[in-house]
Amino acid sequence: MNAWLGILLFLALAVAFGLLLGYAAVRFKVEGDPVVEIIDQKLPQTQCGQCGYPGCKPYAEALAKGEADVNLCIPGGEPTMLEIAEILKKDPKPMAAEATEPKPPMVALIDENLCIGCVLCIKACPVDAILGATKMMHTVIAKECTGCELCIPVCPVDCISMVTEEVSSKNWKWPQPNSVTRIPVEVKAVES
Amino acid sequence: MSTKTMRMSQLSHQFLTKLSAIVPLAKHWLYKFHGGIFPDYHKDLALKQPLRQGYMPKKLILPLQQHMGEPATACVKVGENVLKYQVIAQAIEPRSVPLHAPTSGKVVAIAPQPLPHASGVAEMAIVIEPDGLDEALTNPLQQDQLPPNNKQDPIAAFKHTILNAGVVGMGGAGFPSYAKLPNQPGLVKHLIINGAECEPFITCDDMLMQTHPAEILAGAHALATAFQIPNIIFAIESNKPNAIKAVRHAIAGQASNSVVKVQLVEVATVYPMGGQKQLIQELLGLEIPHNKHAIDIGIVMMNVATLRAIHHAINLGLPSVSRFVTVSGHGLKEPFNIETMIGTPFDELAMLAKPASSINYSLIMGGPMMGVRLVNNHVPVIKTTNCILANPPEPIHQAMACIRCGECAEVCPVNLLPQQLYWHAKAQEFDKTQDYKLFDCIECGCCAYVCPSHIPLVQYYRNAKAEIREQHAQAALAEQAKQRHEARLARIEREKLEREAKLAAKKAAVKAQAAEATPKKDVTAEPATTKLSAREKAMQAAKARQAAAAASSKKADSAAVKSEPAAPSAEDKRKAAMAAAKARAAAKQAKQAQQSDKKSATESVSVEDKRKAAMAAAKARAAAKKAQQESSDA
Amino acid sequence: MHNIYTSSPFAHNNSSVQKVMLQVQLAALPALVVHLLLFGYGIVIQWFLAVATALLVEYVMLKLRGRPLLPNMTDFSALITVTGLVFCIPPESPWWVVVLGSAFALIFGKHLYGGLGYNPFNPAMLGYAFLLLSFPAQMTQWTLPTELTGLHRPFWDTFQVIFFGLSTEPEIYTGATPLSLMRSGLHEGVSAVNVMMSPILGSGWFGLNAWAWVNIAFFIGGLYLLLTRTIRWQYPVGFLGALIITAWFFHTLNPDVYAPVSFHLLAGGTMLAAFFIITDPVSSSTTPYGRLIYAAGIGLLVYVIRNWGTFPDGIAFAILLMNIAVPLIDRYTQPRVVGHSR
Repeated sequence: MNAWLGILLFLALAVAFGLLLGYAAVRFKVEGDPVVEIIDQKLPQTQCGQCGYPGCKPYAEALAKGEADVNLCIPGGEPTMLEIAEILKKDPKPMAAEATEPKPPMVALIDENLCIGCVLCIKACPVDAILGATKMMHTVIAKECTGCELCIPVCPVDCISMVTEEVSSKNWKWPQPNSVTRIPVEVKAVES
Repeated sequence: MSTKTMRMSQLSHQFLTKLSAIVPLAKHWLYKFHGGIFPDYHKDLALKQPLRQGYMPKKLILPLQQHMGEPATACVKVGENVLKYQVIAQAIEPRSVPLHAPTSGKVVAIAPQPLPHASGVAEMAIVIEPDGLDEALTNPLQQDQLPPNNKQDPIAAFKHTILNAGVVGMGGAGFPSYAKLPNQPGLVKHLIINGAECEPFITCDDMLMQTHPAEILAGAHALATAFQIPNIIFAIESNKPNAIKAVRHAIAGQASNSVVKVQLVEVATVYPMGGQKQLIQELLGLEIPHNKHAIDIGIVMMNVATLRAIHHAINLGLPSVSRFVTVSGHGLKEPFNIETMIGTPFDELAMLAKPASSINYSLIMGGPMMGVRLVNNHVPVIKTTNCILANPPEPIHQAMACIRCGECAEVCPVNLLPQQLYWHAKAQEFDKTQDYKLFDCIECGCCAYVCPSHIPLVQYYRNAKAEIREQHAQAALAEQAKQRHEARLARIEREKLEREAKLAAKKAAVKAQAAEATPKKDVTAEPATTKLSAREKAMQAAKARQAAAAASSKKADSAAVKSEPAAPSAEDKRKAAMAAAKARAAAKQAKQAQQSDKKSATESVSVEDKRKAAMAAAKARAAAKKAQQESSDA
Repeated sequence: MHNIYTSSPFAHNNSSVQKVMLQVQLAALPALVVHLLLFGYGIVIQWFLAVATALLVEYVMLKLRGRPLLPNMTDFSALITVTGLVFCIPPESPWWVVVLGSAFALIFGKHLYGGLGYNPFNPAMLGYAFLLLSFPAQMTQWTLPTELTGLHRPFWDTFQVIFFGLSTEPEIYTGATPLSLMRSGLHEGVSAVNVMMSPILGSGWFGLNAWAWVNIAFFIGGLYLLLTRTIRWQYPVGFLGALIITAWFFHTLNPDVYAPVSFHLLAGGTMLAAFFIITDPVSSSTTPYGRLIYAAGIGLLVYVIRNWGTFPDGIAFAILLMNIAVPLIDRYTQPRVVGHSR
């Protein structure tokens, strides 16, 4: 008798909570798909297409749909992969070999003596960071360049190269103690 | 005040200092801010010698950036002779200040020179070889020729003059002084003259207060008059009795003819009393709110040397070309204070002080608590250099694990928890460091000074700050890239639609070939005229760059030909360039072909094919080279 | 030559972890001497045993963990850990007790967490708790003060007792500590005042028992630590303050059932804990107010465990419990940074 009472009681409880959860799911339904936006925020926005999607947003959409792997963003590297995995509650995956080492930020530079003005790179640039017109020399707006390297393969005369930003007193960073390059001081001896 | 009361106050100060070493609460009878340390000061080292003046350096190095903000733009040429006070670099960018020649001489170079900066990077500087005559320009600031709208407005005139005179904060931060001041009178309630000089070893402000107290006060009065500041407080640390005496004497002498009376306050000797936040807390009991500046609560604080520079600019019409520098340290036999020209190399000054042994270690710019260890000793004195410190290196203590003893929190003048900051900074958890208010850290070094584990705490904070700043910059860049990408996608979509519309229209017409060619042309012409103009601008800029490159680079000849539109050879030249480009393209294709050949040729590609490809590539390369040579010959 | 990118400051007040630890060791000397005079040579033998164990364990663990030996062996933190532990162990307990306790404290209390600075629990108390739970018989039978038994055991005899257990008259020489005496007395319905009159508690130099004298010696050493600013005032003030207030409150409520304040201050490891154990900065709270709360929490828990717990002295468990609460305390006691509102 008591056993039956217990079973009934738990059945009733299960039904009650089930209804409650069902109601909550309807009542507090989240509109739209914020996951895409959240992932897009974490992507580096280089728009390089190395993930196989035509830009960062499409990759974010594919991720949200569960169509893409979490480890495709090469410029973002491992930190971005971990963040995406965290957002999507998926297992982290190892990155491809070229993305394990973080690359220093680079920008494209057009050798102005070699440029023939073919506008191919202008068409390739995902952020419109190259200026120029047909048969006129082109130039990269360094401030806008994301370093995606998409312009390099399309150049017929190989006049585009990637350059790192030069270290100046403004962008120099204190390294962590005992961590990175410790180069010996070049002190000129001052004889007494 | 008599010497007797002075001695009494010093004795009680000494007693309280000792007491507060045992009972931390006793510190509150001495001063008002939290924390602080009592290091060994060694101030008598450089004070034993009299002030040196009139030293003529062999070479002056004047970096274009001596201050916070943007660098100045050089306006002299190599080989040009300059006079003392002549402007050699102009403030074209906003937040920049001009640079003046400290003496007469010849500009021998405008090239990157090592900076007195922690990174040791080389940046653009003007190098002057003094002629020893010290010929000066008359009326260098031309105050009588102020812009007309400045004449009515004394504040605008004041700010204009000190900007033209190149006055920047000389206490250490190097903030352009004009930018620190408001644009309206009456906003400033207190002017604090900072003569605290709390760093060990440094005595240049002390010496300045002893020798030129009247000039400091004159600068303060000029400032107070222009901005209608009702209160002036002159704060000096108690360990400078001679400076206090001199300043008191000078105030007594000026009292009769000045509007605002200067209040002299002797503050306790504790590091970092001279910090802006700390001195304001000590004198007025006010805290500068987070993310605000002193001016926001009606306070302007100026270092004594800055006020003297203001006096020189406003009352004498002279730009800022020299400063007091302490040359001190245990490695020098005769440390001294010197009034020297901006641009004097450190090693020259260190040599003057008779080094005990050859200086084969790196010098420190500034004091031991907040100074910068130099990468290169041959760097110049800049406007913010207050001290050159030659301390032979001591054995370095190995950093041990943090034992969370909290000694650092005890001495932190802004009441942070340095041990927690360290923990998160080391783990690169930058958001956590911000939770613990990393950006309120003034990098005074008290925490690292007392750390029993000898952890370089300040460097961890500096690293964390730099990383966070970079992250913010990168986030901004990513946002910008995203917007540009979206704009581009929208544009492509629009162009596609337009093209489709055009095509539909043309279909009515008969000829298909024309339909293919014309819309393309139209489309490139169509998409908004603003775009075109921007492009044109960029083209002009590119052309200007080309011209500039022509002046300096080795390709001067060919570039000159290029920029000459009327020259008959221009046509040939372009042809040659085209040929070169074609050849390069061919070379590339050949190379690619060769590469793909290589890839596919795992087993059965004949050697001949490969050779052919290689030959073709070589030919193309040779053609490219030839074309290039031709073009440069032309 | 030397390296660049070393940041300011280039000056230091010459303090070091070693110096701090040596100060603590120095401050423990008076208690050691008093202990030696009142309880015989046991403490000295135990101390050397513990130090030998510590050296061996440190060496092996550092080797296993692949850490440099010299800086980590010479920080003297293990010395302080085992010294704290030795004072908690009955002076004539078998040798393996202190060896096991020291090894457990250092291995499980310190090295397995990543060494000095990373241990969430006080290693000495972890070792003591381990011993108390594993070997309750050995840990609760204290050698009685020589004053009381009238037998001054020579060094060699003590040595034999510790190593070979050749004690012939165990009942006379070992007995309960004041705390367990008070506990069993109250349990049997004797009033606290009467327990205080018992020969073990009431007799000794100047009418104070041996345990009280050890406590006084620790107090003197603790004052030295306070004056040299080796330890923070928050620890003893918070701990003793909380203990005094609670003890006084309950004693006033019912003097028959609750022992007086003086008893609580001078019994068990009160002073040892107040100045030497809870002051371990690694496992305690790191904010100024946090330390006060942490110490007061221990004081309160000690009183609770002493009166209503199953163990006679609750210092070890009180400290370990408060160690768990440290992250929470740290989080809510952050000081107000200059320029910020609370």
